This record gives sequence, structure tokens and C-alpha cells, in this order.
Amino acid sequence: MIVKDVKMKRRWGMAIDLDKCTGCGKCSLACNQENNMPIFEDDSDVPKRVAFLELMKLTNDRDAKFPNVKTAYLPKMCQQCEGNKQGKHPAEPPCVTVCPAVATDRGDDGVVSQIWSRCIGCRYCQTACPYEARAFNWWKPEYEGSFKNSLSTDVSVASRGTIVKCTFCSHIWKRERDKAVAAGKLDINDVLYTPACVNTCPTGAMVFGDLNDPDSEVSKLANSDRAVRLTNVIDDIKDPAKKKALMDKKQFPNPKVYYLTSQKWLRDMMRFNPRNDAAKKNS
Amino acid sequence: MEKSKNLFTAIYDGIFGGTSKNMRIALYVLFGLTALFLIFAIQILFWGLGYTDMDNNFTWGAWIIGDLGLVGLGGGAFTTGYILYIFRVDKLRPIINSTVLIGFMCYLFTFVFLLFDLGQPLRCWFGFAYPNWGKGVYPHSMLTEVFFCLSFYFCVLIVELIPVILEHKVLIKNKIIAAIAHYMHLLMWTMAAGGTFLSFFHQGSLGGGMWGVLYAKTVWFAPHFFYMAVVAAMAGGTSFMTLMPYIAGKILKKELVPMETFQILTRVSGFIFIFYFIFRIYDLYMVANVYAPMGGRNYFDMWGGYYGFWMIVLELILFMGPLVFLNIKSFRDQEKFMVTGAACGVGAIVISKLSVLLHGFSAPNFPWKGFTAYTPTIQEWSITLGCFAVMILIYMAFVKWFPLFPHLEHHDEHEAHH
Repeated sequence: MIVKDVKMKRRWGMAIDLDKCTGCGKCSLACNQENNMPIFEDDSDVPKRVAFLELMKLTNDRDAKFPNVKTAYLPKMCQQCEGNKQGKHPAEPPCVTVCPAVATDRGDDGVVSQIWSRCIGCRYCQTACPYEARAFNWWKPEYEGSFKNSLSTDVSVASRGTIVKCTFCSHIWKRERDKAVAAGKLDINDVLYTPACVNTCPTGAMVFGDLNDPDSEVSKLANSDRAVRLTNVIDDIKDPAKKKALMDKKQFPNPKVYYLTSQKWLRDMMRFNPRNDAAKKNS
Repeated sequence: MEKSKNLFTAIYDGIFGGTSKNMRIALYVLFGLTALFLIFAIQILFWGLGYTDMDNNFTWGAWIIGDLGLVGLGGGAFTTGYILYIFRVDKLRPIINSTVLIGFMCYLFTFVFLLFDLGQPLRCWFGFAYPNWGKGVYPHSMLTEVFFCLSFYFCVLIVELIPVILEHKVLIKNKIIAAIAHYMHLLMWTMAAGGTFLSFFHQGSLGGGMWGVLYAKTVWFAPHFFYMAVVAAMAGGTSFMTLMPYIAGKILKKELVPMETFQILTRVSGFIFIFYFIFRIYDLYMVANVYAPMGGRNYFDMWGGYYGFWMIVLELILFMGPLVFLNIKSFRDQEKFMVTGAACGVGAIVISKLSVLLHGFSAPNFPWKGFTAYTPTIQEWSITLGCFAVMILIYMAFVKWFPLFPHLEHHDEHEAHH
């Protein structure tokens, strides 16, 4: 068997249990270290910060007092959208088709990749992204003092003026694959891996795996009633015929990151129009 | 030293000599803006886009608004060229050189703005070298279409501009140059036709298609946006092409272009504005009733914020100018109404581009976020206004030294003979 003849069967996805997340921020830290995130003097300038994983704080009401106030933390990275088949159009993530220099693509494992050194910095993909998942290097990436020594050699350091994004740490998968090949295992589908954020989560709120494998933990979680995808309104339409009709008119992001929660207020937070959706469900 | 001093005085006299005091002040301001443009251009190109107020949420700012405005209004060049060379409306001939020059500058500075907007300007050729082409004729990326159609049309505009330069009173004395200029004029209809063809694509893509195809962004998603931008460019562009020589004529206190020509062009503009208005109303209806609910959003929630409804209301008010003043003959025949109509038309186009961009980026992507604001920094203002200043200076130079309005020159010669 030759490696290139093997078809990739995996479709990587993630499930994040918001009820288990304590907001400790270890995922963000691990991501920054694994992916060579630059450190700036003023990283409180959030809109210009370069980070793949943003830990967002959600609250039901800013002015609410103790027993009524509810808070949750939502780790948000690239949702690895798939889009949906729309008539003759193939499914495409929102950001991939727009790139004028083919710097971004979706791999056969469903991961949306980005080549830093091909990017011309037009930021059209960033404009197209509904999850603000792509970061632009507004300044020259800098690594203070000894931070330079801890840079990962698997992820290239981006230059100023390019877009960078989360790739589900696919370099770890490549590393694992190389190890497997060295050990004589040539089937790429044998290789599983865990991204840095998932690996470090102390409460086990984040689960990563293959969505194509019905027995994997992540696909079980993704199919559970607690799963909800961020602002992906097509999920609220239960009637398959209606769903198909809508998908023929327009693509929807269809992300591969599933958030899990049992709290109603948090589920409502994931939609712009929760009341409308509730009305639709009742009708 | 003496020589350079002489050269400096010669240049100074050449530019400022024989000008009125007001004109001198205007020129100083324009040159000042140009200097600021150069200074901040160096800063942005060498030290990056961090100095702008753009960020990961507000990804594009003042320059792309400039791009949209310039391309949208520069669209008057292909419309006027098409009417003159293909429909043979010869009364438009006095305005065509000015139109071509404005079109040329609009596109030139669109390129300049686009270049500044790139994080890696040195990689701009990647757009041609690695185009994101689909399977058929159509490119995958709207920006690929912009890259190709914009540069091809820019070449067309250069070819159209060459005769204006060749017809300079010194150059035209050379028989070969005169012959080239003559035959270029005869074959210009091919350029007008080709330019119109190319313009339809890039007007659609840069003006609207680029935003209309972003299916995940409900604020923008509208499949008809591409076509609406073409109509908008034809409507607003013709108004803009009327307005510029009119203002130049007012400043120089002479009739650069006959009123008749202005009236033909504004009549065309007003007529196209009717279609654009109907299209825009259809657009508002579709977005509010079909596309916004489809994306799970309420149109009226989505259009709040800093750049929301008031811009649409202002745009609709400005629409009344071209619709009323340019379409009713008794109004159009009066100079003041004609100019007001054209100015309102240009305003409506500019406001529509502003609201697409400012509001589109300002609207939150997550339900728990609010609207964001954008305040351009001194760098962004300087580069934007500096480019406009350079455009005005180039136009002034052409008015002064080149046969931008050829019928006037013949007129002068005619008088001289007597």
C-alpha cells in the first residue's frame, strides 16, 4: 500500500461542553504556545490581537444581581465551516472561495487551512468569516527574549500583513502520521490526534475526534440534544424538506464545532433571534 | 546652485504664475495634502497597517470606501464612451476627453488604495499568478475578477487617454504623431465596446458582488447585489462626469463644455437613476423580507447602530434630486436644478457605498456583541484625502496644458486668425 493511494476517511470535529467549562483559559494559553502566537506590548488591544482561540465571556444580563446573574465562557476558534451543497454548487466554507490568491483551502479531512506565505493580506476571508475566527498580523510578530527559544518548529512564524488562523493543530496530525509511517503503519486513517487546546483542558470540556465515525465520542456528543452550533440557523429547522429548500437558496456555514449546553439562556444566546426560533419550533 | 534655483523659480512660475489669490491658496492646500500623503504612505508601507483604525472586526476602512466610490463614479467613463462611440451621440464629444481622464484617475487611485489595503503589497502579483479560478469561465473569487477586469479596463483607459496627450499643441505638429492620434480616434469605438464589456464585470464585482456573495454574513448577502452595482455605476457615473467639468468651468469662469452636452448626459443619468431607484427599492424589500430572516436575523435589529437607518433615509432623500430634477425637462433646462440633481445623484451613490461598508462591518457577528464604530486615524485620512488632492491636481494640469476640451482650442485658434 502506498500512502497517497489511501483515501482520507476522517472528518475532524470538536465538541465543547459549555456547562463544564470553567473559563480557566488554559486552552487559549496552550493554543498560543503551540501555534507561535506573537506577544505584543499591549495585548489588551483585543481587536488587533493575534490569537486563534478567543475565550468569550457570556452573561445573561450585565446588570443582573446575584441569584439571577448567569455567566458562561465560550472558547471560540475557527469553526471549520463546511457550507452546504446548494443546487449545483458544491459545499464551500465562506472564506475559501473568496481568496484571490488560493492561500486558503479545505482539506479532505475537512480542516480549513491557510498558507501564511501565500497570503497577500487583502483580508477578504476575514470579511467573509461570520465567526471572526481569522486574525491579521497588523504589526510585525514579536517574541520577547527567551520566548523565541520556545517557538514550535512545526508551525511557521507569520510575517506582518498576513492572515493566520486555527487549523485544528493539523501539524500535530502530520507529526503523528510521520511517526506512524516510521513505525510501518501506512494507513493514514489509523492516525488520531488531539489539538493543543483539547489536550490541556482540565475539566474535559473539549472533545476532539472524527465526526464520520459514529462511535467516536465527538459524533455522539454532536448528535445529542444538548448540541448547538453558533448562529447556524439552519439547525433550527427540523423539517428535512424545508431544510433542503432553504439550502438550495443559500449556503449556511455548517461549522464542525459543536457547543453543548443544557441551559436555555445560553442556547438562546447562540441565536440572533431566539424568540423567532422558539415560535418556529412551536408552530 | 544657481541653476537649481532658476529651475525652481521656473517651476514655481509655471504652476503659480498668473493665478488668482484664491487659486494659489487652493493649490497650497492640495500640495500640502499631497505631501502628507507621501509621508504617511511611507509609514504605512514600511511599518504596516497597525497604524490604521482597522482591526480584526472592521477589516476594511476608508480606502475601500474610496475604492468603491471611485470605481462606482468612474463608471461614467465607460457609459459616456459607449453612448458616444456606439450610439454615435456626437454632441457628447466635447466632454469625452475629460471623462476619459477622470475615469483613468479613478481607476489609477483605486489601484493605489487597493495596494495600501494589502498587508503584503509586494505580493500583489499573486492575484495574477495564482488566481482563484473556478471550473468554468467564472472565477471563484470576486477579487480575482476585480484583479483581472480592473487591470484590463485600466489598459483600455490608458489607450483612450493617449490621443489626448498626443494632441498636445507641440506634439501634434509632428506628422507621425498626428496620424497615430487620428487613427486612434477612428478606432476608439473598439475600446469603448471592450471597456464596457470589462466594466460590467468589475463594476459588479467590486461594487456589489464582493459583498453579495458572502453568504455567511447576513448583513451583506444578496445575490442581486452584483447587478445593482452595475446600474448604480452607470447612473452615478454619468452624473459625476457632468459635475467635474462643470465645477472646473465655474472655477475658470468660462464655458468648458456646452450646456447642451451637459443636458444630454444628465438626461441619460436621470433615466438610469429611475432603474437604479426601482432596483434599490427591490433590494431593500428583498433583504428585509427574504435574506435577513433566512440568515436568522431581524432586518430592523440588524440596521440599528451608528451607521444604520439614517444613512438609508439620507440616501432615499438624495435620490429625489436626480429622479425629479434630471427627468423633468423644465427642471433640467435650468442650470441650478440640473447641477443639484447631478450632485444629489453622486451623493446618493456615495452614501450607498458608505452604508454598505460602514454598517456592514459595524453590525455584530455574535448575538452578545454590540455595534462597533470606526474612526479613521490621521494616516488613513491623509492617504485618502491626499489621493483626492493628487487627482484634482492632475485634472488641473490637464485643463491647463493639454487639449482636454479640444473644441475650445479650435475656437481660440479661430479667434486668433481673425
